[in-house]
Amino acid sequence: MSKEMEFDANEEKLKTLRVSSLDEEEDDNEAQVDEIDDPDLSTDEDEEGEVHPVTLGFVEKLKNKWSLLRHYFPSKAGGTPAWLDPINLPSEKSSLCDFCSEPLQFLLQVYGPLTEESTFHHESTFHRALFVFMCPSMACLLRDQHEQWKRHPEKPCRSVKVFRCQLPQTNSFYSGKPPSEDGTEQPLTAGAKLCNWCGTWKGDKVCSSCRKARYCSGKHQAAHWRSGHRLACTRLQTSLEMSESAASNSLWPQYEITIEDECEFENEMSDSEYSNILVSGNRVDESVRSLMDDFAGDDDKRSWASFQERISRAPEQVLRYCRSAKAKALWPVHSGRPSRSDIPACNYCGGTRCFEFQVLPQLLYYFGVQNDVDSLDWATIVVYTCEASCKGDEGYKEEFAWVQLVSQSAP
Amino acid sequence: MADRGAGDRGGFGRGFGGRGRGGDRGGRRGSGRRGRRDNEEKEWVPVTKLGRLVRDGKIKSIEQIYLHSLPIKEYQIIDILIGPSLKDEVMKIMPVQKQTRAGQRTRFKAFVVVGDCNGHVGLGVKCSKEVATAIRGSIILAKLSVIPVRRGYWGNKIGKPHTVPCKVTGKCGSVTVRMVPAPRGAGIVAARVPKKVLQFAGIEDVFTSSRGSTKTLGNFVKATFDCLLKTYGFLTPDFWRETRFAKSPYQEYTDLLAKPTAKVVHVVEDAEAA
Repeated sequence: MSKEMEFDANEEKLKTLRVSSLDEEEDDNEAQVDEIDDPDLSTDEDEEGEVHPVTLGFVEKLKNKWSLLRHYFPSKAGGTPAWLDPINLPSEKSSLCDFCSEPLQFLLQVYGPLTEESTFHHESTFHRALFVFMCPSMACLLRDQHEQWKRHPEKPCRSVKVFRCQLPQTNSFYSGKPPSEDGTEQPLTAGAKLCNWCGTWKGDKVCSSCRKARYCSGKHQAAHWRSGHRLACTRLQTSLEMSESAASNSLWPQYEITIEDECEFENEMSDSEYSNILVSGNRVDESVRSLMDDFAGDDDKRSWASFQERISRAPEQVLRYCRSAKAKALWPVHSGRPSRSDIPACNYCGGTRCFEFQVLPQLLYYFGVQNDVDSLDWATIVVYTCEASCKGDEGYKEEFAWVQLVSQSAP
Repeated sequence: MADRGAGDRGGFGRGFGGRGRGGDRGGRRGSGRRGRRDNEEKEWVPVTKLGRLVRDGKIKSIEQIYLHSLPIKEYQIIDILIGPSLKDEVMKIMPVQKQTRAGQRTRFKAFVVVGDCNGHVGLGVKCSKEVATAIRGSIILAKLSVIPVRRGYWGNKIGKPHTVPCKVTGKCGSVTVRMVPAPRGAGIVAARVPKKVLQFAGIEDVFTSSRGSTKTLGNFVKATFDCLLKTYGFLTPDFWRETRFAKSPYQEYTDLLAKPTAKVVHVVEDAEAA
């Protein structure tokens, strides 16, 4: 013990000696205040800890008409979902926003089968897809923010919902062989009839006059009536009504999500430009510190900086996928992060939920959302799924989504 | 390992989370993504709402952002709005050292001032292992910290404003910098360091006075920056008039056609959903 202390004392002396021998001016305040356990090392550690390889998703315009159909197991954003299990769709209650009772709008779906290499691979996860829905109203999202912080609510009220569906390789909906890459493949069974307006949810209700057009809810029936069904209804143009595409014009534009590994981009930018740019705050320098004080919150700035740095390797990314128990999401903002206990356990098997993927705000840009005061805007949506990817009954299981908003206040 | 993984799925797309090549799906993407290796030409995809507004061209001048005190989180916003006229200069590269068990670790700290010589200055400080990285980083930081500078007159209000509107003082550390309005033709009467900053700000004539350890360049530069920051914070009689509040950029571009009119809703009630 005493030896160490001696060593430290020597080090101190050495430190001062070394510094004064340098000819550079004003290094005094630098060297004296520097600490051995400095944040730079810890940021390095954080980066080291992230050895989990991250897969990025990029949006691309549709190349062929058939590649986003459900029997090709796509990953897509916007438009209508390509339901994996076409029959046992989510119930009507779970398809509504719990605040405004409007049916939720399809955001994106991710095809993420669990392969041999992952721990929880079993037969039933040969096909596995996650569907993210959200209410396009910002007011609901703000209320949702309060709800997501509640632990064990009696009645969970969310406006962002994630559904998981998985199928074994041999199932009654698709053939066990991979689909042919030329658009000729057909699914084994036709799916359930979907709503004519949104093309998303089950169309249980029919239009009372023509009995042909199907809707998932009264609101969509009203919307379709207003925007043209009123004229087409009487003429009983069944072919038009039964067309595949949804009639709604407020759906988000459809894109295909293509996949790249993040390490492909790492080679291009070896320097970590951003993460230390605004992070030098802990280095005790007066000018930097007062500069940091001008901006709101050291932590917020630091998270934003490291977020910018990570995405600057591939600025067009919209999705970050890393399914691992220890994987951590990339948080743009420091405030509003969930702790371990904020993430509820799986509703079906009681096991823990782990991070699977997160959606980035670049998607809003690609969707072309309006930029009004009350239009949709979030910093990231992080999805946590059951770690064991429990099988349970058929159909869709709800998973947990965490939305982080940009801090509304000015700096 | 990768091949075996793909082989197990026998041609099904690997989806997310599978390791190895993406098969057909991955190959399609080669053109746009991996071909371009240069980072500078990567198109900017905005992440914030303000960024999206600027990208769409809805915001024409940076003054709209300043008026509503909106936080600027992406430096590309500044680039688009006043980028072409922005000049930057590295004030100093300073090696700083830290003592570690294995010797010293030297890093370089860069001070960069950017400005358009017409009322906007920014100051950036960045420390990094390499000089080039430090300079690049501090330019970005400087762009993020661009502030408007208020200019006024010394005497008669003839021509364009050329000096600070009033006596202002800024402080950082032990350095205080005081700026005093000067008549035309006086030029910037200041030390080498603040003179640079004031030139970038677009101030033509000013008398300055400084105190404290101005040898510390970091503090000196920051003190002048702080001083310039205060020019718009000083209440003068021109501001006595009641402000007419303008619409925030977020509110200006509301899509008024999104809402359906009441008339149409009435008709709908005839139809019933079974």
